[in-house]
Amino acid sequence: MKRLLALLLALLAGPAFAQSTVQTENVRAELLADVSAVKPGEPFWVGLRQTIRPKWHTYWKNPGDSGLPTEIAWTLPAGVTAGPIVWPRPYLFNLSGVINYGFKDEAMLLVRITPPADLPGALKLEAAANWLVCEDVCIPEEAKLDLSLPVTATGAPAAPATRAVFEKARQQVPMPSPWPARYGVAQSGDPTLIVEAKGLKPETIRDVYFFPADWGPVASMAKQAAAIGADGIRIPLRRGDAKAALPADLAGTLVLTEKTAAGEVKQAFDIVAKRDPAFVPTSTVAASGSEQLSLLEALLFALLGGLILNLMPCVFPVLAMKAASFAGLAGHERSAMRRDGLAYTAGVLVSFAAMAGVVIGLRAAAGDVSWGFQFQSPVFSLLIAYLFFVVGLNLSGVFEVSGRFAGVGQGLAARGGTTGAFFTGVLAVIVATPCTAPFMAAALGFALSQPAPQTLAVLLALGLGLALPYLALTFTPALQRLMPRPGAWMDRLRQFLAFPMYASAVWMIWVLVQQAGADGVIYALGGMILIGFAIWLLRLGSGAAWGTWLRRGLAAAAVLLAFAAALKLEDGRATAASASGASNGVSFEGWERFSRERLDRAIAEGKPVFVDFTAAWCITCLVNERVALETPTARRAFEQAGVLKLKGDWTNRDPEITSLLKELGRAGVPLYLFWAPGMERPKILPQVLTEALVISELAEIQPAKR
Amino acid sequence: MSKLVVPRRVLLLGAAAATVAPAVSLAATPDLGKPAPQFTAVDSNGKTWSLADLKGKVVVIETTNHQCPYVRKHYVADKMQAQQREAAAKGVVWLTSASSATGEEGYVTAAQANEIVKKYNAAPAAVLLDPQSKIARAYGATVTPHMYIIDANGILVYKGGIDSIRSSDANDVPKAKQYVRLALDEVLAGKPVTEASTRPYGCSLKYPRGQS
Repeated sequence: MKRLLALLLALLAGPAFAQSTVQTENVRAELLADVSAVKPGEPFWVGLRQTIRPKWHTYWKNPGDSGLPTEIAWTLPAGVTAGPIVWPRPYLFNLSGVINYGFKDEAMLLVRITPPADLPGALKLEAAANWLVCEDVCIPEEAKLDLSLPVTATGAPAAPATRAVFEKARQQVPMPSPWPARYGVAQSGDPTLIVEAKGLKPETIRDVYFFPADWGPVASMAKQAAAIGADGIRIPLRRGDAKAALPADLAGTLVLTEKTAAGEVKQAFDIVAKRDPAFVPTSTVAASGSEQLSLLEALLFALLGGLILNLMPCVFPVLAMKAASFAGLAGHERSAMRRDGLAYTAGVLVSFAAMAGVVIGLRAAAGDVSWGFQFQSPVFSLLIAYLFFVVGLNLSGVFEVSGRFAGVGQGLAARGGTTGAFFTGVLAVIVATPCTAPFMAAALGFALSQPAPQTLAVLLALGLGLALPYLALTFTPALQRLMPRPGAWMDRLRQFLAFPMYASAVWMIWVLVQQAGADGVIYALGGMILIGFAIWLLRLGSGAAWGTWLRRGLAAAAVLLAFAAALKLEDGRATAASASGASNGVSFEGWERFSRERLDRAIAEGKPVFVDFTAAWCITCLVNERVALETPTARRAFEQAGVLKLKGDWTNRDPEITSLLKELGRAGVPLYLFWAPGMERPKILPQVLTEALVISELAEIQPAKR
Repeated sequence: MSKLVVPRRVLLLGAAAATVAPAVSLAATPDLGKPAPQFTAVDSNGKTWSLADLKGKVVVIETTNHQCPYVRKHYVADKMQAQQREAAAKGVVWLTSASSATGEEGYVTAAQANEIVKKYNAAPAAVLLDPQSKIARAYGATVTPHMYIIDANGILVYKGGIDSIRSSDANDVPKAKQYVRLALDEVLAGKPVTEASTRPYGCSLKYPRGQS
């Protein structure tokens, strides 16, 4: 009787003190387990599920500029341990500029519970949870929750509805990054993160954001201007408020949205970026913003960018030369001057059009081109360094270019005349290209994402900007009167202008070292000595015919040797590229390559077939493989069900796969097809897979097999 | 310049002629060891305070929002007031800045501000009225209370939280490391501040809406 009373009391009192669901003013908190009975010694998961009042939010482990993360204090029977909270991927909230990281609507915080091997009849878990919940105002709330689970020898899974909640929760948990990551620190102290997810398609990925795991190293930013390029995902960040030096490992969660044929998928990855002392980003985050330029804006900025190019140390000498030679034209007919200006402009525009042609052509051939491809080539850097050096030597008066060297621009430029003006334009573009890469990259970043006519338009606007000052000079007599008279100053100016040219060459060698390592210095400077030697040989003056030919031969050999350095550099790079390329492809381990013929044969034989259409650039495909298709449990299930696994690699838009996608009304990958034995039509699985989903599909056919 | 690829924004900056104004960035907090941002504000008694006039004195800035549980924590425990008195006794100018925007939580009129001071028996040198959140913005304040110390030369020497236990429980105050008090002692002793930048915690600062 006494016992019964005690039980009754316990039943009445129990819920008043602690229960598995607590409703506070703004949050309903629930404690759930993914088992209905605990097996001794076998870990299981519990979840604190917060159903948050609409428009309010609770906080992630790093709450951002304000707020506090949810905390759970456990009271557990002896021998039972609870792991740390496994957080779902966070959202960003911008409260009039104060940035918060947290959750809205519903958040499930997972905790792994490990019971001991010897466990009496029941397991009672008690959790004291507290959280801060905010809309505009913030309210600290708390709940005492408990959950009692029976203990049985075999244990038992939770009801399907509860399991579904856990399944959904696990999908929200970031997966370990499949790509390595590193970060560098700019002079300003701002870090830039590089996630080496190579070969992604920029146009399919948006809303990239790196949530730092801790306060301190990185500021909570309203926006991050992530760029997706050849080296992966690059995210300029702003330094946080912690005074300590940036850590060796920068941890956080990368969240992004991938646009797939069937819709949009949000993905999250836990990242640990190693500090890379060799990587010193030059771009600063300044006022960040990843807004898209409109065409008009792009044209305007391209034009302005072109104008600014004129002041670059490697372009200015060319332009100044041109201006000086223009002074020489003084007194000529005005029409001659105009012709000169127009020819120069034409030279510039034709060069830019040629560049646009190359870009458009490459894009058509490769399907995808990221600007900067040539700047990432150390050979290009080396050749440009040589060009700066040679132009510098010429300006210094070390050698004069005779008609024999016609075509090297500078020679023609020095000659004056319409052809000369045209080639000065070409030369201006060639020297402008490397030293103004930042401007080019910005305008071209836009240009490349546009159809061909827009690409051409932006490039021509850039060219027009470059040509404009000189064009204006030749057409405006008022400006012409401001030009000084020709005289000895022209030679002095020319000699002086050699120095910015040499400086540009030094800068280019520095770029080369960044690309090719310290050996680059030996190749570049050695090459320059050889070039200098060749010029000296050619200038030795006339002698016996055989002597001239010997000198020419030696000079040619020296120049060839200088250029051989370039090949040497390309060599090292190619090996590196192929090594990294190998790690990025689609893996066929455990799968057969898809072919229509193989598929048809298997279907005819009545075999179950699973087809995975994937691509190296598809993040969702990669995630599905990791979490649902390639787990040990899933592999075993495939094997047990005797399923033929076919994988189709659509990285390069294989036409056979494209035609099947079309038949099924799909525009792209991921696409998962499953033919149960004897079925004519495949079942199309969702584009976001879970292990449970795959296993339940496979389980359905197992009875038939047995 | 290892890659020579620069975000589009650099183009915008490079093209200085562009009229595009960069977005206001809150979290750009002023640097430690640099002159603290200047401000002029009227207090709850109508007196005008200007940072420039306070040269030669150590200044503490405390952002406040009397409705914020984290601010209340320190006032209910009588700890904020105790620090204000201690500071005043050492000749420090303690300015409490009511930086919630007009109409937002924590916004106060002069009369309300004085009432709160009376209710809590608070002892700041002044409660500055900052209804446009100008002071908060200048200092990149993100929470209430967000604390700053400016030395006698006008240099910002501390920014961050009031103490080390990030909770709204008044019982935690005695257990917490008192960052501001420790920093203030060091500043007054002419020593560099050991922990000069700590993690601030509290309610988000209520800036005027529609600005970010």
